[in-house]
Amino acid sequence: MTVAADLGKSLDTGKRRWRRVWESVSVIFRSRVAVVGLSIVIFWVLVAIFAPVLAPHSPFAQDSAAINKPPSPTHPLGTDHLGRDILSRLIYGSRTILLLAPISVLCSVALGTLLGLIGGYYGGLVDEVVMRILDAIMAFPTILLYLIIISAIGPSAFNVVLAITFVGAPGIARLVRSLTLDIRVRDFVAAAKLRGDSDWRIMFVEILPNARGPLIIDAMLRVGYAIFAIGTLGFLGLGLPPPTPDWGGMINEARKYIWTNPLGVLWPAIAISSLVVGLNLFADGLREETTRYQ
Amino acid sequence: MAKYILRRIGFMLLTMLLVSIAIFLISEVAPGDVARHILGQFATPEQVELLRDQMGLDQSVVVRYLDWLVGNDWRLWRLVGKPLRYTRVGQYDSPSWYAVEADGTLKQWRMKKGTGLVEIRISPDGKREEFLFEDWQIAEDGSEIFWGVDTADHVVLWRKGEEAQKVGPASAGRTMTEASGVEYYPLRKGLLRGDPGISLRTNKPVGPTLVRRLRNSFVLAGIAFVIIMPIALLLGILAGLKEGRAVDRTISLFSLITTSVPEFASGVFLILLFAFWLKVLPGAAVFVSDVAPFMQPKLLILPVLTLTLVEVGYVTRMTRASMIEVMNAPYIRTAFLKGLPYWRIVFKHAVRNALMAPITVIMLHVNWLIGGIVVVESVFGYPGLGMYMLDSALFKDINAIEAGAMVMVALAVGTQLVADIIYTFLNPRIRYT
Amino acid sequence: MQQARSAPILKVQDLAIAYETRKGDITAVRNVSFEIRRGETLGIVGESGCGKSTVAFGIVNFLGRNGRITGGRILFQGQDLVGRSEEELRRLRGDRIAMVYQDPMQALNPSLRIGEQLSEVLVVHRGMKRKEAEERCMQMLQRVYMPDPASVMRRYPHQLSGGQQQRVVIAMALLNDPALLIMDEPTTALDVTVEAAVLDLVEELQKDFDTAIMYISHNLGVIARVSDTVGVMYAGELVERAPVVDVFLRPHHPYTQGLMRCVPRLGMDKASSYLYPIKGRVPPPDHLPPGCVFEPRCPYARPACCETRPELRQVADGHWARCLFAEEVAQSVWAPSDEVPARLPAIHAAAADDKPLLVVRDARTYYEVPSRQLMGRKQLVKAVDGVSVEVRRGQTLGIVGESGCGKTTLVKTIVGMEKPTGGEFEFMGVDIAVPVSKRSLEVIRNLQMVFQNPDSTLNPSFSVGQQIAWPLRRFRKVPHNQVRGEVIRLLEMMKLGERYYDRLPRQLSGGEKQRVGIARAIAGLPAMVLCDEPVSALDVSVQAAVLNLLLEIQAELGTTMVFIAHDLSVVRFFCDYIAVMYLGHVVESGPVEAIYAPPYHPYTEALLSAVPFPDPTVEQKSIRLSGSVPSALNPPSGCRFHTRCPRKLGEICERETPPWQDAGNGHRIFCHIPLEELRKVEAVVTVPKKTDN
Ligand SMILES: Nc1ncnc2c1ncn2[C@@H]1O[C@H](COP(=O)(O)OP(=O)(O)OP(=O)(O)O)[C@@H](O)[C@H]1O
Ligand code: SF4
Ligand code: SF4
Ligand SMILES: [Mg+2]
Repeated sequence: MTVAADLGKSLDTGKRRWRRVWESVSVIFRSRVAVVGLSIVIFWVLVAIFAPVLAPHSPFAQDSAAINKPPSPTHPLGTDHLGRDILSRLIYGSRTILLLAPISVLCSVALGTLLGLIGGYYGGLVDEVVMRILDAIMAFPTILLYLIIISAIGPSAFNVVLAITFVGAPGIARLVRSLTLDIRVRDFVAAAKLRGDSDWRIMFVEILPNARGPLIIDAMLRVGYAIFAIGTLGFLGLGLPPPTPDWGGMINEARKYIWTNPLGVLWPAIAISSLVVGLNLFADGLREETTRYQ
Repeated sequence: MAKYILRRIGFMLLTMLLVSIAIFLISEVAPGDVARHILGQFATPEQVELLRDQMGLDQSVVVRYLDWLVGNDWRLWRLVGKPLRYTRVGQYDSPSWYAVEADGTLKQWRMKKGTGLVEIRISPDGKREEFLFEDWQIAEDGSEIFWGVDTADHVVLWRKGEEAQKVGPASAGRTMTEASGVEYYPLRKGLLRGDPGISLRTNKPVGPTLVRRLRNSFVLAGIAFVIIMPIALLLGILAGLKEGRAVDRTISLFSLITTSVPEFASGVFLILLFAFWLKVLPGAAVFVSDVAPFMQPKLLILPVLTLTLVEVGYVTRMTRASMIEVMNAPYIRTAFLKGLPYWRIVFKHAVRNALMAPITVIMLHVNWLIGGIVVVESVFGYPGLGMYMLDSALFKDINAIEAGAMVMVALAVGTQLVADIIYTFLNPRIRYT
Repeated sequence: MQQARSAPILKVQDLAIAYETRKGDITAVRNVSFEIRRGETLGIVGESGCGKSTVAFGIVNFLGRNGRITGGRILFQGQDLVGRSEEELRRLRGDRIAMVYQDPMQALNPSLRIGEQLSEVLVVHRGMKRKEAEERCMQMLQRVYMPDPASVMRRYPHQLSGGQQQRVVIAMALLNDPALLIMDEPTTALDVTVEAAVLDLVEELQKDFDTAIMYISHNLGVIARVSDTVGVMYAGELVERAPVVDVFLRPHHPYTQGLMRCVPRLGMDKASSYLYPIKGRVPPPDHLPPGCVFEPRCPYARPACCETRPELRQVADGHWARCLFAEEVAQSVWAPSDEVPARLPAIHAAAADDKPLLVVRDARTYYEVPSRQLMGRKQLVKAVDGVSVEVRRGQTLGIVGESGCGKTTLVKTIVGMEKPTGGEFEFMGVDIAVPVSKRSLEVIRNLQMVFQNPDSTLNPSFSVGQQIAWPLRRFRKVPHNQVRGEVIRLLEMMKLGERYYDRLPRQLSGGEKQRVGIARAIAGLPAMVLCDEPVSALDVSVQAAVLNLLLEIQAELGTTMVFIAHDLSVVRFFCDYIAVMYLGHVVESGPVEAIYAPPYHPYTEALLSAVPFPDPTVEQKSIRLSGSVPSALNPPSGCRFHTRCPRKLGEICERETPPWQDAGNGHRIFCHIPLEELRKVEAVVTVPKKTDN
């Protein structure tokens, strides 16, 4: 504490702020697990960004001469039942999933944070009503929610995001609420109250910034879950409508041909597993590291 | 305590009510016409219109929801003028709705082509007779009409002279659609009175199918549970005791990875490994019927294994975290300073407190388990509740979805309640206040 | 102590203990040597983080995963404990060496019955049968004056009060008649009256069992009361060791002297005193000065002190000190440096303004709690029930009482964070019986608060500057470009300075956080500041600095204050006027001198006799309260104190609410005992005439 403080004396404000950011980022590198996880995630992010460069074929191009073929020089990972290049579809599939998952998590964080803050801060009847509704949603088996929502409103990218937001928000609201309940009894909130600060200032300036740590880690874990969920929906035939390259959907289509073309299911299964594992390793390593030195 | 349990049960019922309403509303706003969906693309508009009428889709959503919930015979019997009863006549017949005469005779009516309206009477001793119906009533506009019960569980308004006409072939599994009446009201007993209705997809009663499927899923989940718990608790406790050591790191990494891999992916890996390359186990479970999949235990191995892989990791991680927390608690320090032997501290002082948290969390996890089961059943073609729900949802089979959802919510909320009660019993701080 | 000087039970020589951390090994304790004989109590005193607990746990080699003994010897009954196997140590722990530490609730396993937790000690170490062991435990519980031991045996820890739990833990420690008992802050979490009873018990048991006790505390008063010999620790070293009277009256080490000047003494009052904090702060164990560890803070430091690290040496018979110039230090007459004013300007004379700033009449604040019955109605906790107080401009009102008596609730109601159930609240002539949201900005600005817990008083996400700037902008409409300058001015007033502007709260020590909290409170130049135990979570030397700061602010800005405390000695030094609370009522109130002299309310009398004074020569009457504070859910009828009152008159106390009796000069006592009777009571505390220091 004092060492950092004494060093800090000589540094000017800007430098110090930069240092602070670096300090929090460098936590990642202390955990080997987090680094491995991060590398996997970065790999897929790069693949998604450079998809047009990396993919040897169009993900939609069908080749009726090469149906369910094993790997070959032109199709390094083989072809699927419509003669499409699996590698290209995998590469483009990363785009879909890496776009939809963070968007849906952001939406559910926004919604959940708002509800959790309001419920936790005001307490009483407001809290009771908000929480009972969220409890009811949470009591509902997640998969059933997906099934019902998607089957009712039809599979599309927007609807998948909507469903995941809806399913994820209650969990975040609960987390934020419990953090709020903890923070709102601290003295600095009391100080703000007796200064007559407005409720929204107390919620968003005094309370929310102090909930950010657990919230960020939870959001990170949730990106993993969201990918998991998008994959599952795709697998169940509720994901993005074909022919969009979607890993879960690829497995769903290819599993009819599992005995003739096992690689058709294997590649997307590996892809999605590695991405979720990578994200979770990263989030978990980060959590371990941040809680250890609190 | 009693107050608490009552409150929770009340809350569970409330949740189920809300969920059922929500599903009804969602299916209401869902695009597409259910009748059209059932009949398929090639049905004529007349057919669709008739089916809508027969299904009562022309009524308001509130009426339909209440019919679904509490039935409508107590409302519709007034039209017929006689009490209505849902009963099974012969031993092998499926139950059906009848109008009941004062002497106990059951009656149904049917429009017979060329003949007119026929009255079917079943006397209390089981004798079945058919008569030509003649007791028409005079309506306000002077035509001759009659309200009766048809053989397909509707209250129907017939008009004399209007004969049955076939409106064309129906979709699979469905008898021909007949139009003979003027107005239809489908008779229902209501969920609260034990009748979840007829599946739109299979045209069979939902109840019995649901029970069979539920049993199958229980077998799957039950076996998995029995395998998961001891392994996971043991691994979790071990990792927690050896926090930071190699054992712990191995277990933690293993459990993180297995929980992270989606069920469909791990299912695929297992099928490829054991069925495709090693050829030691059957891959996709080819169950001919949903009656008794567990007659062939070999078929269960891979589904159970898939489920186990995902869940073991989760429970292990919960247990580990809780064990670590407890082992750092001051009262464990006290136990050490009392000079108690290590294993006595672990088993007498730590494990009990450490298991308190995971048990509740594990129970809360039933939600997740249900999700896993849907996917695993789909991967292996296992005829359980999950598959049933998936198929029903894809078909928008509202009756089946509603019934299945009620079961699942009851399971999920019920286990939470059980978990809380267990927690209360494990934790004297709550028990004695 | 009177015993023959037998061989010591415990002899520690040059003990050194290190913890492994991310930054490498950190030596937390160095060169610690002491010994304890049978029947003797060694008190170890020192500020937080100086290594007291490390030494205690080091003796039984229970230092957690990352701690280890790096040098020295621990001779227990002649045998060296260092390097013994875990199994051998295990046999000693709980049998020959027992330990009691802070926070009894945490120390007992919440899911096992008391009986089980007690008897297993005997079962494991003595191989006793369960039945026999339980028999012994019951006797031991009886021995520690536990009412109804048989039922206690069957209970779970949460079903006992804090004091009872600590008795259980002490009984547990004594079950095997240990040769050495280590007590680490055993009473810190307890109320003064309970603490006094536990200390009595410890004293008595020691006589009976003739145990050697190592008693650790940060509270100089407690140490003065229990110890025969005292060891003073600083930054991981034992800097002074001597018989208790010598340490308190003839300290040889500058640090010990500094500590003595930090605590308010008896006979000190606001007008005549100033506390002298030790400058600077304790160095972190990985950045120790090369020479004497106290050198950066020592008023006597000389060049030699920077080069050699002094040894602990005998400076008088049985008196050891770790200072190169101990003899000189002990002789010299200490004079405060120029930094601190020798005396505060007398502001009180001018402050006898007639109109009170704050008037509270018959204040009531009730909390609703849900009932436990199936269909029961909501129950009421009458946290504040009919309290009347007044505060005059420029003066300080002290509110004292044990935890749960409603002090905080009263203050929260005044600042508008709790809704009053009834009563009149008037501040600067304005009715303030309304929540904050309905008050004018002017009232809000003039009524600010300083909080107890330094760790929660600041928002961890914002820098010090940002947090002080906000009330400036909100209350004083300071223009944007002048805010920074104004904040820095305030920081300087808090003796913090500009370099703190950009720091985050986690980079501050407890005392610094508290100062920032004060700066934030006075930023709007309030007429009145309410302080809820602002120093009770701080170390003594820091405590003194913060108290001085508050006094200076009061002198400079003329701020009126309400000061909550549970420590009667701090209040005496700090306040002009005192109200003593018990269970939601004020039982006595009056000018500060009147409270500390007869006539007393029986509760005040008991409180005074329980407060541990940092002076071993003080004589205190021993008045101990039985039982614990009744629940505010169901307060006793009549006089609320009647369930514990040692002077209870009889039925009238249970039936009728006591009247207030005016003892003159605004001194009121709420008791049925006539004033004349109360006046006859002798003073609780007597200070022998002293010549030195
Ligand atoms: N929010 C609340 N709900 C119910 N009861 C409360 C609440 N806050 C305080 N109490 C009760 O009111 C009584 C007085 O509490 P208060 O916090 O004012 O005591 P205190 O003297 O400040 O104690 P301490 O010295 O521990 O801070 C206690 O019995 C307490 O349990
Ligand atoms: S050795 Fe020097 S610096 Fe250390 S306490 Fe003595 S006089 Fe002060
Ligand atoms: S009124 Fe009675 S019980 Fe209360 S303090 Fe006085 S003597 Fe004690
Ligand atoms: Mg308080």
